[in-house]
Amino acid sequence: MVAMSALAQQAGVQAGMRRGGALMLLPHAQFQQRAAQLEVEAQQAVALALLQFTPQLAQVEEATLLLDVGASLRLFGGPLALCRRVRASLRALGFSATLGCAPTARGAWLLARSGGGRALKMATLLRRSDGLHVSVLPPARPYLAWLEGIGCMTLGQLRQLPRPGLQRRCGRALLDMLDDAGGMRPELYQWLQPPASFRARIELFDRVEQTSALLFGVQRLLQQLTGWLTAHQFAVERVRLLLEHERGRQAGPPTVIEIVLAEPTWRDAHLLRLLKERLGRQELDAPVIGLCLEASQVQPMAPPSDALFPEPGGSKEDWQRLLEVLTARLGAENVLQAAPLADYRPEHANQWVSVQQKIRAPAARAQLPPDLPALPRPAWLLAQPIALLMREHRPYYGSPLKIISAGERIEAGWWQSLQTRDYFMAEGADHAHYWLYRERPSGGDPAEARWYLHGFFA
Amino acid sequence: MSRFASLVAPETLHPSLWLASQLARSSGRCIDTGFAALSSQLPGGGWPQGVLIDLLLQQHGIGELRLLRPALQALGRRPIVLLQPPHAPQALALAALGLEPSQLVWIRSGARSADALWAAEQVLRSGCCGALLLWQNHTRGETLRRLHLAAQTGDTLFCLLRPLAAAQDASPAPLRLALHTAPGGIDIGFVKRRGPQRDVPLFLPLTPTLFQRHASLDRSTPAALATRSLLSALVS
Repeated sequence: MVAMSALAQQAGVQAGMRRGGALMLLPHAQFQQRAAQLEVEAQQAVALALLQFTPQLAQVEEATLLLDVGASLRLFGGPLALCRRVRASLRALGFSATLGCAPTARGAWLLARSGGGRALKMATLLRRSDGLHVSVLPPARPYLAWLEGIGCMTLGQLRQLPRPGLQRRCGRALLDMLDDAGGMRPELYQWLQPPASFRARIELFDRVEQTSALLFGVQRLLQQLTGWLTAHQFAVERVRLLLEHERGRQAGPPTVIEIVLAEPTWRDAHLLRLLKERLGRQELDAPVIGLCLEASQVQPMAPPSDALFPEPGGSKEDWQRLLEVLTARLGAENVLQAAPLADYRPEHANQWVSVQQKIRAPAARAQLPPDLPALPRPAWLLAQPIALLMREHRPYYGSPLKIISAGERIEAGWWQSLQTRDYFMAEGADHAHYWLYRERPSGGDPAEARWYLHGFFA
Repeated sequence: MSRFASLVAPETLHPSLWLASQLARSSGRCIDTGFAALSSQLPGGGWPQGVLIDLLLQQHGIGELRLLRPALQALGRRPIVLLQPPHAPQALALAALGLEPSQLVWIRSGARSADALWAAEQVLRSGCCGALLLWQNHTRGETLRRLHLAAQTGDTLFCLLRPLAAAQDASPAPLRLALHTAPGGIDIGFVKRRGPQRDVPLFLPLTPTLFQRHASLDRSTPAALATRSLLSALVS
């Protein structure tokens, strides 16, 4: 027995018990085989996520991670705030951990291995560690019987033993570890090197059929992405989330959700918001069993420079972020920007494209006709012109319409769809202004010309 | 004596107090409407920013954008969001109104109607936009309150354009105007404002750009004649 739930602990199950003993206490207990491979993967996932707090992170014995936060304390607002953030990050990842914080790495390790705690001064650390049992140190474990025999139970008592004798009996490693904890020896660690490219995946606990249930997994992957980006000083431009479906007989290709950012980011809050909206729109064809996140395009991080007098309308990045969130929920085809075209036909001149396309303002401006104010153009353009009835030789739309402008002849598009139209402005009995056109049939009888309504002057 | 003075000028007691016969002073920022006749009738002398403005339209396409044009121009280069307009907006016409194509964003309603309200709230809370024009047909009271609250987080010029029938319903908007067509312009009815009740609609000459110079000629002169007089018989 290595670990147990709180319920099992209440029933009297203890670490180190055999399976049979636990079954006697709890006949319906469920057992999980310990998987070394999964433990290693979990530790690597945590290590990657914690890289957002410091680049100096080492994996050491007994499933412990050492973080050198000496350079990060000021940035994160002191040891207390940093511990809180590390703990929040671990919770987001879905793991529980004991945190120890001390001036030396081995001292922090000792505190973490014996229930956690903070010792910010060397004297506090020595006092705390002196009370710990000698079995905390791995090199001392083979000699536990001997140490108990001479009455040496705590680290404090171990320190008082003569060093040459202790080294001769228990080996160099035990002394080194004691010296490390006391800060009497420089400590050397192999710092973790983050992988060159980012790809993280998790298996879900169950087959998930609703996208909202995937958010927790996404949040966990984003924590790892944040750590990786911070370690490399990268900002991400494009991420891919793969929703993996059932393997086996109903195997299908994974569903891909791709998010392209206008402004590269290295924080997870905005990415989480975007992925949440996109997942809310996504329809799942098959249950999802795994998630995989890839950073497919990155670029060096460029932290924003704060203005002394900020603009009242918010920064350009805020605006881009807003458009991205809107696009993620409503779809790219519903969030549009104007891209006018130099064309005589009104339907073709009035082009709107997705905001994700990059259009330079001068280029859009250049497509507008030069004599703009002289052109009567209605603000609302009907997608489909409405054929009008004729009453007393006048077009009729709710009321007889009175033509109040000279005609504007538009005859273009022979290469595509020929338009031969005479546009007029008209006023109804309700004094609203309408934009009409008369279709000129080519070569036909002008009396058969039909009238259409094409817009409203708003 | 001092009591009497505070009754005459209650704004000396507190800036948000006013007499029923006078216009309130606006606490927030306002944009000039560009029409002196209208500005003088609004508390603060213009369109208030960062609140819900309820515009009730007789029908679409009666000059609502022409009415807002000077205010939208005054926003400079800040983005203008058209949320769920009744028809496709024409960039050419809006450019003729003085709005750059690059500052316009047209958001269509998605499959769900709640998406438009969600988008409106996002736009208002971000505070990046100069103006948000939202077209809605049926809006519930709690939605309006929520939009009004969201509008107060920034200084976006937020106009909600609804059918005239909505004038019957209560609204938290501090300014509600009803727009009717009129020969040569529009009539503005003051449904609600922080000021004295005004039953006579305000006429603003607003014709499409091309006919601006003929505006005054097109309008029939208001016949202010005594009834049954010889002249009125001639005129009619």
